[in-house]
Amino acid sequence: MQVKVKINGKEYQDDVEPRMLLVHFIREKARLTGTHIGCDTGNCGACTVLFNGRTIKSCLMLAVQANGAEIMTIEGLSTNGLHPIQDAFLEKFGFQCGYCTSGMILSAYVLLQSNPQPTDHEIREALEGNLCMCTGYQQIVESISYAATKMKEAGK
Amino acid sequence: MMDFDKLFVTRDWFGKPVRRNEDVKFVKGEATYVDDIDMNCAHVAFLRSIFAHARLKKIDTSRAEALKGVLAVITGPEVAEVTKPLPARAITRPARQYVMATGKVRYQGEPIAAVVAEDRYIAEDALELIDVEYEPLQPVMRIEDALKPDAPLLFEEAGSNTLLDDTMEHGDYEKACREADMVLKETFRVHRYSSTPLENWAIIARHDKGTDSFTVWANDQQPGRSMTTVCGTLQIPTHNLRLIVPESGGGFGIKLAIWPYIVILCLLSRKVDKPIKWIQTRREHLLGGTHAPDGIVEIEMPVKKDGTFLGLSVKDYQNDGSFIHTAGIYGLIKFATMVGQYTIKATRMEVLSIATNKGPTVQNRGVGKPTMTFALERMVDIAAKKLGIDPAEIRFRNFVKPEQMPYTTPSGEIYESGDYPECLRKGLALGEYDQCKKQQAELRKQGRYIGVGISTGVEPGTSNLGYYYTSSGVPEYMGSGEGAIVGVDYDGNINVMIGSVDTGQGHATVIGQVISDMLGITPDRVRVDNTLDSFISPYIGHSGCYSNKFNDVDLGAVIKATEKVRARIFTLAAHMLKADVSNLKLGDGHVHVTNDSGKKVSFKDIAALAYKKITLLPEGMEPGLKEIAYYRNPYAKLPNKQNFNVQLTHSNSCHVVTVEVDIETGFVKFLKYVIIHDCGNQINPAIVEGMAIGSTVHGLGATFLEEFVYDDNGQLLTTTFMDYLKPVAATVPHFEMGHHYSPCPTSLLGSKSAGEGGAIGSLAAVANAVEDALSPFDVKVTSLPLTPEKVVKAIKETKVI
Ligand code: FES
Ligand code: FES
Repeated sequence: MQVKVKINGKEYQDDVEPRMLLVHFIREKARLTGTHIGCDTGNCGACTVLFNGRTIKSCLMLAVQANGAEIMTIEGLSTNGLHPIQDAFLEKFGFQCGYCTSGMILSAYVLLQSNPQPTDHEIREALEGNLCMCTGYQQIVESISYAATKMKEAGK
Repeated sequence: MMDFDKLFVTRDWFGKPVRRNEDVKFVKGEATYVDDIDMNCAHVAFLRSIFAHARLKKIDTSRAEALKGVLAVITGPEVAEVTKPLPARAITRPARQYVMATGKVRYQGEPIAAVVAEDRYIAEDALELIDVEYEPLQPVMRIEDALKPDAPLLFEEAGSNTLLDDTMEHGDYEKACREADMVLKETFRVHRYSSTPLENWAIIARHDKGTDSFTVWANDQQPGRSMTTVCGTLQIPTHNLRLIVPESGGGFGIKLAIWPYIVILCLLSRKVDKPIKWIQTRREHLLGGTHAPDGIVEIEMPVKKDGTFLGLSVKDYQNDGSFIHTAGIYGLIKFATMVGQYTIKATRMEVLSIATNKGPTVQNRGVGKPTMTFALERMVDIAAKKLGIDPAEIRFRNFVKPEQMPYTTPSGEIYESGDYPECLRKGLALGEYDQCKKQQAELRKQGRYIGVGISTGVEPGTSNLGYYYTSSGVPEYMGSGEGAIVGVDYDGNINVMIGSVDTGQGHATVIGQVISDMLGITPDRVRVDNTLDSFISPYIGHSGCYSNKFNDVDLGAVIKATEKVRARIFTLAAHMLKADVSNLKLGDGHVHVTNDSGKKVSFKDIAALAYKKITLLPEGMEPGLKEIAYYRNPYAKLPNKQNFNVQLTHSNSCHVVTVEVDIETGFVKFLKYVIIHDCGNQINPAIVEGMAIGSTVHGLGATFLEEFVYDDNGQLLTTTFMDYLKPVAATVPHFEMGHHYSPCPTSLLGSKSAGEGGAIGSLAAVANAVEDALSPFDVKVTSLPLTPEKVVKAIKETKVI
């Protein structure tokens, strides 16, 4: 089946099997490998992408269901240098192995759009769908909180 | 430990929370993990046993082979014909097993056949076309069942399901019992769990027909050893395997057991004309991507009325499942630090490795120490209660004191440094122990149940590898070491490779900090490539990322190589500046003449001489400016049952935890969680903090949520993250960290283990806190996990968790 998707502003069109998962389309057809796979059952959030502005688990969706959609992956977050959230993850050590990081950053991005000054508790709640096996979450929470402050200061 | 005045030129980077700027790729989604490598691969899928225990009567792959898009199929019996059996290390009974099932399957999920196809979807389809005839056998799941005289045997040739049963005795345990006022006894049970790295196992293999050699990309955690094990199993010379380890999405020990699959992929790659890729699914990972074994610890502790611990006897049953390569190892590691932080003079330990039809086990974060510390620290609280002594006080009375360091345990383990009493004092202060205790009494009157738990634990590092063979014979590997290459590049910047790999520890940053201070430059001038390439990297048999060895031997190798490079920089500069080496000093990427402020030469110019203008080199001097060094920890003793050290550095931590138990629902809420950590000198404190907290959360997951649950037929019931629950951000507490710094005298930088402490101490601390909270109900905690059902049931009926 033909699928046409806009990912990070660029159009991708391909003929795919109806059973192809969206995450495989993103990784293997669009070759955007910043989106990861940690569980394939929708539990870990490593495959998180923005789908028409909302976060989804791209392992739970078929590529054909994304026909006509606009998707943003981690590669699309900042084409020019680092987004303040990315910078914050470096500044506050919000990652270790980096495997969960794309999903974490995108979840944080969506959170900060709707709630620019979240409490630590709200940040933790917002990360409900993202597992990190390395950090124990504390430095991730600190990173997001730091990003919120910096973004406010910068008036973003 | 080295003299820092001699080692370092500047102190601008060592000890500071330097940003991981080398790792910007991780926040941009640009890191290259194995699955991200683009090389038009065919895909591999595994057919796995549906039974936990069965004879394999027949495997027919013809229908699968006929499927369009299938390139090749391999079966267990075919693999067994061309490979050597798995090398066992710690067990003493004979047991024969191959990397793939042959003749018999021993756990649900054991690989029976593998298919390579044009894509992963076709490969999965083909699995359904493989016909397997099984003769189901009675599965043996629990230790108690495996020990029954008429139990079905996992390995008939062993004649028993107990593959190792060895006793080690140090000091006069009988005397300790005679002198004791009482001998406390208890049995503890710890379940199966795993630290489950977020990235599953991943391998790409390519066969080169001309040379019959293989190139493999894999997220292997111990490539130094895998080189020998894979090549030994395939019976090929090691130079016919090029193993490349790119980024890895977490390890925690679980990626030490990936090598059997490398063997299978190599064999399969011979059958096809393109590279082949296997990406393990999470279900495969949970089924057989290795676990920490479950176990039973029977413990006896002779004590005096004043609280003195006179001895410790442990009988440790370890349910090692069905992977003989690791079987027996956990018990020996528990044994190494069984006395914890206490001056217990007499010990006896019987280690039993039991084979069952559960999945394979491997060295998961903390390897046995979480269980041993859980049992010991629970026992300490039980003793305190029995003797009417405060749990903190009884620990103070028994601690190894700082003035006793270096302290040698009865079996020969050397605790080289640490101040256990001071760490606990700090923990009690930060954890507001006295206030919490007071609050506890008041809240109880209101029907609220809070409890405070303490645990102290030793966090060893730098595994002295020979110990595996303590019971079985002569070790293949001994000691611990690592290699490093440090070079000055054309433009005067520094390039580094080491034999180890990184599974998320920020090695590049830490190495950059050390080298920058050694050469007087900034870390942006140091590039560390974490990729391990067995054709280029300076690997040795011990190479890899495990046992907290980085802060010791990996950095040791980096320092030694940098010293060599530094010496050459000085020699070349002396020639260029026409000065004496003793008159030179480093600073700002230049070599300066000490008493002539204007005279200097840059690394770039020195590199130009070394690489480009080699005719100008002094007579007899070799061109180039790159050095290789290997380093070993010199304190490793030879394995000898009477006196040996299993680990070569010893950090310690203390956890002080306050929880509230909801007695209606059984849920446990954290009110305060304090970690005091002493890992000697910290090179990058922010990284250390992440390690300490991350590993503590592994312990909390194990304590409350994570469990591999099997039914009586040996079917694993927890095969997704919906059933095998992991902690999420909202369910873990905010941790308050405190530090103590007892520099390690035996590592070059005074640094020691930083990655496992939390996973070791947290189980016991939480269990002690929960028991303390439930003391009005007389509930005793002897097992994990502390699920709400178990908690409620204990309060209402059983009185034991
Ligand atoms: S891979 Fe999609 S949620 Fe885990
Ligand atoms: S940083 Fe490794 S999984 Fe989050």
